[in-house]
Amino acid sequence: MNKTLLSVVVAASVTLTGQANAGAHAEVYADFPITVKNYSGSETHSEAYTGQIARHTLHNSTKKLVSKGASLEQTKAYFNGKEPGRVIVDPVSKDGFPVLQTHVDKISKGKNLSGKAYKGLISGMPGGLTGAELLDVLLEKAAATETGFDPLTGYDYTQLVSKFTMGAVFYNQAVDNYLDEKLGADVNPNNKAYKEGKAYTGKEHVWDEAFGYFGAPAHTMTLTAAEVYGIAKQKADSFDKADYNNDGKVSLVTEMAYAHAYYAASFDKGGKTKYLHTIVQAFLDGRNLISSANGEALTAGQRSELMGYAGIIKSQWQRLIAEAVFKYAGSVYGDIEKLETIIEANGDAVKAYRNYAKHWGELKGFALALEAGGVNLGATGVKLNRLLGYSPVLLGNTQVSALVNGEFVQSSSVSMGEYRVQMIKLQKLMIDDFGVEARSKDVTANLAQLVDSLGEALAAEND
Amino acid sequence: MQWLLEFAQSWFSELTSLVSQGSKRVFIGYLLSAAIMAIIWLMWQRKLNFMAAVGWFFRRETWWSRSSKSDYRLMLINQPLMLLLSPLLLSKLVLATSIFYSLSDWVVRPLWSSDISAFWVSVLFTACLFVVDDASRYYLHRLMHRWPALWAFHRVHHTAESLTPFTVFRTHPVEGVLFGLRSALVQGFLIGVFVFLFYDRVTLLSVLGANVFTAALNLLGSNLRHSPVPISYGKTLESWLISPAQHQIHHSQAREHWNKNFGAFIAVWDRLGNTLEYGSNTQDLTYGLRHQKPQEHQLVTLYWQPFKHCWRCLRRNKIEPNSAMSAISETP
Repeated sequence: MNKTLLSVVVAASVTLTGQANAGAHAEVYADFPITVKNYSGSETHSEAYTGQIARHTLHNSTKKLVSKGASLEQTKAYFNGKEPGRVIVDPVSKDGFPVLQTHVDKISKGKNLSGKAYKGLISGMPGGLTGAELLDVLLEKAAATETGFDPLTGYDYTQLVSKFTMGAVFYNQAVDNYLDEKLGADVNPNNKAYKEGKAYTGKEHVWDEAFGYFGAPAHTMTLTAAEVYGIAKQKADSFDKADYNNDGKVSLVTEMAYAHAYYAASFDKGGKTKYLHTIVQAFLDGRNLISSANGEALTAGQRSELMGYAGIIKSQWQRLIAEAVFKYAGSVYGDIEKLETIIEANGDAVKAYRNYAKHWGELKGFALALEAGGVNLGATGVKLNRLLGYSPVLLGNTQVSALVNGEFVQSSSVSMGEYRVQMIKLQKLMIDDFGVEARSKDVTANLAQLVDSLGEALAAEND
Repeated sequence: MQWLLEFAQSWFSELTSLVSQGSKRVFIGYLLSAAIMAIIWLMWQRKLNFMAAVGWFFRRETWWSRSSKSDYRLMLINQPLMLLLSPLLLSKLVLATSIFYSLSDWVVRPLWSSDISAFWVSVLFTACLFVVDDASRYYLHRLMHRWPALWAFHRVHHTAESLTPFTVFRTHPVEGVLFGLRSALVQGFLIGVFVFLFYDRVTLLSVLGANVFTAALNLLGSNLRHSPVPISYGKTLESWLISPAQHQIHHSQAREHWNKNFGAFIAVWDRLGNTLEYGSNTQDLTYGLRHQKPQEHQLVTLYWQPFKHCWRCLRRNKIEPNSAMSAISETP
């Protein structure tokens, strides 16, 4: 009797485990079948986005180098160079969070960031530069500082370079290239290998590259936003969640979180938004659709469906960048409040000024990123740039107004108090024109708190 | 079915919150403090012993009169009705946010605003809220008496022939909506202005979840306004704060008491509007409307008749101020 019961329990467990695995497999961006006709290589799956992950490690490394006051040669080796032997500066193994790869080449060889940076004009900074040219200027200026910060202009180059690289390379490549023109019927068709001998079709690889640039772990759908956030932060207690294949190390290719996926997770863990899972689900849906074509050219109907998924990814991605603009506009607002109080009391404003510059750098970097999405922002872009200006308003009420002979030039500006108010307008612009919902650091949050404290109930009472 | 169940639960929780939350006028703590004050006052002024004072205050002919019973019924029915209407009304948050953004757009924040500490900002906010809210109550209440179309609804409250703390609920829902809009306007406006001026240093000073000034006055017996005990504060204090006796005068049938004491807490508005009347500890008043019919306490009449009166006023073009009495031929 007991044996019978035991066998029933075991059989049920096996069935359930099998179902769970099947379910989990379907949720992971991995093990997509090879659909290329007559493929004769040794690969067992078709997804490939190592080039994009290599660029994530180059971005993280560049950021770290700039913040440590590295020389231009050092930072350019990661940003512009393609030389072999480059050590990954970030992310590296930490206590309780060992990572698998230590060299960029172990992920993908011959990659850089500059080659993929946005070639269109960026109007949010002076000098009439393209995205790629602006990043070059920022890197050069950064190398002339000790820790990536120039107190005279208020530029935090670490943040400016990092946040704008995320926009000018990752966001631009994904939404303005792979999920845009490369989804065309005649470009990278699905009935041919991406390149001779490759295990993936043109459309499969185009889609994978866009996914790689987003920076989400392949098993994101098995994780919560908070867990993905913990993975990006390399928290020891997130290791088990990161190490999906249980090999004792976190693969920087498939198990790590980077860039916009990290920001999506940071907003979503607040519970108001679902950028991370919406975007990753759209990537999975699109990839499954391409795989289901089984190596044939996509029909018009399939392409239309695929464009639908791309549309979700593009709009959500843009909105999550707008969320970051919203958040840092709120931070800058708070920083100016603190600065004004300290200055009023003749206190030491060094630390508060540094925070102001850091948050402004993040704000500007994300705002510039919005220009790199291949969408003409029109009046919204003009308002955004006018409100934000070319630099933070400095303590003497000046602001960078031009780039002349390679030098940033300042002129008089609005007062810091007025600039603070412009941050409110900037937040409102993000609400009105991008529909942001997470609204971190909402300067109007106090309004809602006060309304709550007064109670909303309508009462039929008389005096 | 599920919807019905959820609605019933919300109704029940609304009703229990009336007595369990300090932000409500008939919170159990306020009712208790009012009863204690009333009994002490009866022992002191009317020379009654404790048991006699308790017996007089809780006499059946007041608390279980035909008039009071209709107050209780209105309370039970109005709560769910307001629950349904509430989402349709102007949101304080929407108003506060738009005021905040408009000010940010058009006004430069004055430098002095950053000189005031968070504590004094909160004192100022809480006091402003109390004063402006009270002033707007006075003004709308006055309008409810002066404009016939509004009096049609407010007269429901004045058909009360015996006053208990629960007479506050003897209110037509249309009046409830008007007072709700008033509250949203005042609170939304002040929140928008204060957050614009003082950013995150604004908080409401509260006791038991209510504005500290309102809570204090409620603890000091504001529930006795609608009660059988005519507590007067004396002329000096009654020039500043409305006493229970003064509000009872507002409910009096006597011609000399018509259109007096519209104020809720602060008497200054009545002084400015020439509507202040001092109370007396010995006053003995008759409440309700002259020529009032017995069916005035029936629910159908209480809810439906105001619409008929209002329609009659509008049809006869009796919409101008001060024609309330001629339009409906009654007090006040």
